[in-house]
Amino acid sequence: MKQEQSLDATDTAILRALQLDARTKYTQIAEQQGVSVDTIIKRLNKLQTDGTVKRTTILLDPRRLGLEIIANLAIATEPSCTEEVIAHLRGREGILFATHTMGQYPILAIAATHTMNEMNALKEAIQSHTKVHDTKASIWVDQILLCPQNFELEPEEAPR
Amino acid sequence: MNELDRKIIEALTRDARTSFRSIAAEADKSTDTVINHYRQLTDEGVIRGSTVVLDAGRIGYEGTAAFHIDVSTTTGHTPAQVLDTLIRMPNIIVATKTVGEHDILALAAIHDVRHYTELGREIAAIPGVRSISSNVWAGNPEICPKYFII
Repeated sequence: MKQEQSLDATDTAILRALQLDARTKYTQIAEQQGVSVDTIIKRLNKLQTDGTVKRTTILLDPRRLGLEIIANLAIATEPSCTEEVIAHLRGREGILFATHTMGQYPILAIAATHTMNEMNALKEAIQSHTKVHDTKASIWVDQILLCPQNFELEPEEAPR
Repeated sequence: MNELDRKIIEALTRDARTSFRSIAAEADKSTDTVINHYRQLTDEGVIRGSTVVLDAGRIGYEGTAAFHIDVSTTTGHTPAQVLDTLIRMPNIIVATKTVGEHDILALAAIHDVRHYTELGREIAAIPGVRSISSNVWAGNPEICPKYFII
């Protein structure tokens, strides 16, 4: 079990600002919080060292990079073989994410391909794995809405 | 997209705070050129924004859930309306309309089993939601950090 981090108002303000725009100037956060830039940098270093902050990154639109088709795949397998199938999936081109889940299906995967034909070929290839019983794909349409800032950073206020 | 665009994307994917000056030095271009290309990538929507990747486990999340939602069209509600409500809910991190088995997929960060159950109930109470099914998994793997972010 990982140790949970308790964040104070300054930590929360830093994370909130960076969640919305990772390039936010430290001086701007410092001004809003009424603390020095050094404090912001020190806090952020601490959050990075203890592993709360992994890194900053940009969010890309996969479709603008030629990955036109995005889908989530629900995969049913022989119960004893889910780990084997997940390992197989993770090594495949086009699979962005694959995990073991509890619920309707034992495996959930997210895939991105250039064309519908490629997605279909990927689905058929997964289907042809001897331990896979069934694969159902749902294609993502319209805009994909991202809300990384929806994380609750104030656990004491969060409904638990 | 040219070579410089790819270099900018690569550098900022690794660290969104990389200075334009250092990207320029690396690519042997002027800082202004890098800034212009960055602006263009942003204006064109190739770069949708930037964010910080957190270890959700360290801020109180034990797991992740996928909610597969069906919308009842007979009530006059549309998937777009449901999506609009969903995305404003705390802890929903990605939501999209889908074509296939269900109308909408939403991914959420989950504090614990009680929170998972409550969130499911809240989603079920959105006007127009006909049915939901869900999958849940322990831990907070990064879900496609380049594209969707967790």
